[in-house]
Amino acid sequence: MKTLVKPRSLFIGLSALCLLSIWLSLALGPVSLPLFDTLRAALRLLGVPIQGDGLEQAELILGQIRLPRTLLGLAVGGVLALSGVAMQGLFRNPLADPGLVGVSSGAALGAAIAIVGGAAFGGLPEFIGPYLLSVCAFLGGLGVTALVYRLGRRNGQTNVAVMLLAGIALTALAGSAVGLFTYLADDATLRTLTFWNLGSLNGASYARLWPLLIVTVGVALWLPRRANALNALLLGESEANHLGIDVEGLKRELVFCTALGVGAAVAAAGMIGFIGLVVPHLVRLLAGPDHRVLLPASVLAGATLLLFADLVARLALAPAELPIGIVTAFLGAPFFLFLLLRGRH
Amino acid sequence: MRLSLRLITLCAGLMITHASLAGELPQRWVSAGGALSEWVSVLGAESKLVGVDTTSQHPESLKSLPSVGYQRQLSAEGILSLKPDVLIGTEEMGPPPVLAQIRGAGVAVEMFSAQADLASLEGTLQHLGLLLGDEEQAAKVFKSYQQQLEQHQQQVKSAQAGHKAPGVLLLLGHAGGKPLIAGKDTAADWLLTQAGGHNLATHKGYKPFSVEALAGLNPEVLVFADRSLTGEAARQALMKENPILMSIRAAKNGRVYELDPTLLVGGLGPRLPASLKQLTTEFYPTVPASQ
Repeated sequence: MKTLVKPRSLFIGLSALCLLSIWLSLALGPVSLPLFDTLRAALRLLGVPIQGDGLEQAELILGQIRLPRTLLGLAVGGVLALSGVAMQGLFRNPLADPGLVGVSSGAALGAAIAIVGGAAFGGLPEFIGPYLLSVCAFLGGLGVTALVYRLGRRNGQTNVAVMLLAGIALTALAGSAVGLFTYLADDATLRTLTFWNLGSLNGASYARLWPLLIVTVGVALWLPRRANALNALLLGESEANHLGIDVEGLKRELVFCTALGVGAAVAAAGMIGFIGLVVPHLVRLLAGPDHRVLLPASVLAGATLLLFADLVARLALAPAELPIGIVTAFLGAPFFLFLLLRGRH
Repeated sequence: MRLSLRLITLCAGLMITHASLAGELPQRWVSAGGALSEWVSVLGAESKLVGVDTTSQHPESLKSLPSVGYQRQLSAEGILSLKPDVLIGTEEMGPPPVLAQIRGAGVAVEMFSAQADLASLEGTLQHLGLLLGDEEQAAKVFKSYQQQLEQHQQQVKSAQAGHKAPGVLLLLGHAGGKPLIAGKDTAADWLLTQAGGHNLATHKGYKPFSVEALAGLNPEVLVFADRSLTGEAARQALMKENPILMSIRAAKNGRVYELDPTLLVGGLGPRLPASLKQLTTEFYPTVPASQ
């Protein structure tokens, strides 16, 4: 099959772009640090004792603000794109996105409960207060996905079509529950809710980062091992079964990885749309549908796109910030359209 | 109760200020709170502000300063790029991890109460006075503010002695469309009550209204706060978008008044006494204003 780009050159190109985005994400920000200072501060962070004027400030900005933010962007972008591939493979439908099994709407419901309910309860203990939103979003996503999966199962078989419809129904249900909380919310909580729904990498800290990084690395190592099985599933469920693939086990793994990955990403950075739906498409348009290429390439592409989007988010209106959800679609959609139209000729 | 609360704010204020007095007075300020920015200007330190948030709309000149975004959605690096000595804001300021990052970079983060009562305001002004190194003036400003409010309360009292409090509704809208009614537990409700009105709405918070319910309540006075239009244009847009309003008493008797929506955010601001006085004369047109 002819593709636009050979897998080898795709990986080289994506890795280069990804490295570039990491470098820019560390080097650029509203505080303008001279390139030389950034380098020296980076060396200091690595433990090389360098003395100099203003280096402490540079080290702080690099180590406490930009580095956790960059890592968060990489993890969120990568895991969202990967979950997108998993869902599109599972439903054998390029229109599938991680929201389809209810993980996003469940997380939104969890977040709404935490934001509106948390404000109503007031004085929460110190150790849970700051993390309530993340924990609720994560549990909400996982809970609704588990329910969707359970509804799709009959006689030990998972019916993907039933699961899809159950996902739509539960998404609608969760949506109306979020609407109810929106109605109950006061002005301030309403704004928090709105901003959360647009996502942001702002205020990334290591404490919030570790759980997501572990999940992302886990999912990113696990899913590519199922590339051949996913390729077989493209032919159809019974065909894959005849090829000796444990289709039921595969479905379970895909749903679990998506719930875990998207749940953790959303808990750390809020809702960020577009990446999960379109990044797998982008990669497929460039390099074809082979999951052995698609899975790892989507991780790179998702991470890169999110970092570039974040650069725009933090620089466009500096010293204020744009929610990143606005930027991902704004940057990605025209590019996607361009590829789509080009592919026709 | 009232006294002890005041004492606590005073003590807290003193403690915080001693810490900040140890160093030099902050020269570059970022303010993330509408009323706070206004007070800083009233205390004559507008020139020290190097950045404000989106809720700081008064005085007009603040709009030319760099905007650090919405007070709950601040960005650490964005604020640090303004090289401030101090970031001031209400308890609503956030998100907390960003504040921690800003503190970590050696910028003082000073939190103020957003409560709409005089004790909180006294604490706020004292605290600001200390940060500005001019406690006397801050105390003077507070005194005169307190006097104005007390005078206004007299005005309301004497008006209410002869007249029943009018039933009022406050609509908060955007170019007239889909206005929300201000219910209990809102700054708007507090304002209406202070001005001597009786808020007919019984729900909590700002909620969209049902046309029928509005006609049923039939308020004597209607106050509207429009976020995008002002004056006659706002009034006309409101009537055009919601024709039912034409049929209530307030509209028939020409008692539809405007209120600046920025008064409804972030605690007691310096423009409040004048607006309260205005509202009271609107509520009790036959009673002459005091003074």
